[in-house]
Amino acid sequence: MSRMYKQNWKRKDSIEKLFAVFRSSTDFIQYDVNTSHIKYWISYFETLVDVNILNENILKPIHSKYWQSLEELKNILPVKDIFLTIDTDLMKEKLLEGFVMISLSEYGSPCLLVNAKLNKAREVTLPEVEFTVIGPKEAFVESIESNINLIRKRLPIEELRIRTLKIGRLTQTRLAIIYIEGIADEENVFTVWQRISNIQIDQVNDSSYITEMISDNHNSPFPQLLDTERPDRVVSILAEGKIAVIVDGSPHVLIGPTTLVEFFASFEDYFLNWILSSFFRIIRLFAVSFSILATPIYVAVLNYHYELIPTDLLNNFVTSRREVPVPPFLEALFLEGTIELLREAGARLPTKVGQTIGIVGGIVIGTASVEAGLTSNILLIIVALAALASFTTPVYKMGNTIRLLRFPFLMFAEMYGLLGIVLCFCFLATHLLRLTSLGRPFLEPIYPPRISDLKDAFLRMPFSMMNERPKQLRTEQPKRMDEEKSRENKDIDE
Amino acid sequence: MAQIAERHKVSAPLVFYLVHSTQFGIGVLGFQKNVVKYAGHDSWISVILIGLIVHLYIWMIYQILKRSSGSLMTLQHDLFGKWVGNGLNIVWIIYFFLGSCAILIGYIEILKVWMFEDLNIWIYTAIFMGLLYYIFNGGFRVVTGFAFFGVVLPLWIFLTFLIFPTRFADLQHLLPIMDHSPQEIFMGTMQMVITVIGFETLFLYYPFVKNIDKSQKWAHIGNLFTTCSYIIIMIVSIVYYSAEEEILRNKWATLAMWKIVELPFVERFEYIGIASWSLVILPNICVMLWSAKRGITEIFGITEKKAIISVLVVMFFIVNVIVDKEDIQLLNKIINTYALGIVFCYIPVLYLITFVRDLWKRRT
Repeated sequence: MSRMYKQNWKRKDSIEKLFAVFRSSTDFIQYDVNTSHIKYWISYFETLVDVNILNENILKPIHSKYWQSLEELKNILPVKDIFLTIDTDLMKEKLLEGFVMISLSEYGSPCLLVNAKLNKAREVTLPEVEFTVIGPKEAFVESIESNINLIRKRLPIEELRIRTLKIGRLTQTRLAIIYIEGIADEENVFTVWQRISNIQIDQVNDSSYITEMISDNHNSPFPQLLDTERPDRVVSILAEGKIAVIVDGSPHVLIGPTTLVEFFASFEDYFLNWILSSFFRIIRLFAVSFSILATPIYVAVLNYHYELIPTDLLNNFVTSRREVPVPPFLEALFLEGTIELLREAGARLPTKVGQTIGIVGGIVIGTASVEAGLTSNILLIIVALAALASFTTPVYKMGNTIRLLRFPFLMFAEMYGLLGIVLCFCFLATHLLRLTSLGRPFLEPIYPPRISDLKDAFLRMPFSMMNERPKQLRTEQPKRMDEEKSRENKDIDE
Repeated sequence: MAQIAERHKVSAPLVFYLVHSTQFGIGVLGFQKNVVKYAGHDSWISVILIGLIVHLYIWMIYQILKRSSGSLMTLQHDLFGKWVGNGLNIVWIIYFFLGSCAILIGYIEILKVWMFEDLNIWIYTAIFMGLLYYIFNGGFRVVTGFAFFGVVLPLWIFLTFLIFPTRFADLQHLLPIMDHSPQEIFMGTMQMVITVIGFETLFLYYPFVKNIDKSQKWAHIGNLFTTCSYIIIMIVSIVYYSAEEEILRNKWATLAMWKIVELPFVERFEYIGIASWSLVILPNICVMLWSAKRGITEIFGITEKKAIISVLVVMFFIVNVIVDKEDIQLLNKIINTYALGIVFCYIPVLYLITFVRDLWKRRT
């Protein structure tokens, strides 16, 4: 008896402490009410609680119905998430999530916790970063519940697994690991789980925090996890056997393990005919290489190998560079710097002002610097085209990487001309060969060469040919569909 | 010997790229002169001959290694005991090391003659050593990756050999076939030795291959590919150059053929060719030097990092010391005889020894 009393007393003490701490914030509400039949205490954070639920579903039944104990009240209240507890830590946690606590005395226990969370989420809107003309027009929002809903809606199967965790000592951000059991490799799931639980951080404000913390090589400019705001893309990638990570408060979902070629595939490729999308992919690949190599080649050729250009073409180069007093390297650096400046300024300003700045900067600075004899016409064309080409990458983060890659190439080109460009390429290739995404090679299917995975890399082959899941993922079900059946459908005369 | 972890191993088909890329390198740019000196317009027969011989040697290497518990280093150690065995191991390591140095020196010579007269060798080699350090730190997987890139990416250059010089080809130059005595053709074959070596690095990367039994096929295909490439280039040079003397006068006959390449937007194609050739010689140097480094770690039991750094530092000094033309020729001669002795004479002996030992073991 005395032990129980002691425990009770201790509990009372910690509830008292809890309330003392909470009362120092002005949005914590606590008061006692005398109804006709009973006296009770109610406490909650008014900023976390939905007033409608509080009034309609909690206070109204409390006052209109007859009840004697909290157990009875629990059965009366028409709220889905409701329970009795004596655990002070749980009370603390739930109060901070937006629960309403009801007790029969000021520090008494047990207490009844009733869910009255205020859910303020943005409506599901159009994708802005990965907009496609055809195809679904839904994009993820900041709320983890709506995001999971968007995925579950498209995958109504029992094998879809969702594991949740909490990350961040201060932000207590909820995070969900999603995969399809029986398809995704358990080892990959384990790797993601392990790396996420090892994270030591006080705040997580976006999924990018998680990307940086769990990627294999922190000192790489390449993103090693794909992020997307399209639920359809996540679903298609889950079906391939990959793993998605949703972070509460972030409209971007992470996907891994990924490969380099995946960053150059727009999801629209799957909505178009395979011939068209293969063509666009090749154009994109060409644009990316052009964007990285155009200015370095210009510098290399004009610095070291002007014999490389036929005489007629060389004339044009010489004429356009006649007035320019600086060597090609400085000229290129100046123009590339200007473009980066415009981009950065455009990105920081509000949309409407940003556009104006872009046009003014592009046209005025461009023509003026040619007229002033600071740069040549040809280089201006090359740099503008290269900048344009760098925007063809469908994934924004990869576009940033490509902007950066140009500069080391430029430096090597200045040092050793074409030889330098090849040397720099070798460094880049080594880096890419060494990179892994969740422990799987990043450069696959190029290296290690896997011909069956090339079907969805540089080209987008028809769906009927993609009857195997990527080998890189070591999925538990390598076949996507029954080959026999898909062949049957293709019979001509039937 | 400690077992190699599965994640450091490469799959069997990649042996194709490893074998081909180590054989195909700096020699391609100017191997014709030495062969044509002896075999004249029948040189292509010498090339076929060397191809067949290398097939035989690859088969022997596989037979030798199947009877060992790891690489060549452990095998020699087991066969000849600690002192003799390790002595032989060091001979091999020096061979691999000198081989990789010779490739880099040869490439720098070409760079100086054809592209940059005033190339600052020590800065260039310093950057190159940095690159090698970065590659070696990634392990054998990255080395193999470069073998792959070194084969696939410069493949388009082959078109320039086929399309442009053949416009000026005269097939009459090949006739009459078998105009030279077998002895002359054989002398030509001997000259090919330095251009086809490299396959013997198999001795060291053998434990790094998954499903080793399946890889022998790929090693042979790799050599077949090399031989075919050499035959094509040899025949094209014979039919393109109007006289044998012209080939003899050209130290780099293949390079000189690029001069004929003309596109609407590119003249002097050899600049592009030589720059891209970096990609061809890089796996050559990588695999050779990697073998030397691997041998050092196996014998002396030092850490990988120390072995990498010591190998690169010594290479840096050697490359910067040997810059004279005479020195380069001397080095090439040394390597040619070295290869003749250690690859073409020693491997059959080793094969016999392991064969006899195997028989003896089975009897007892």
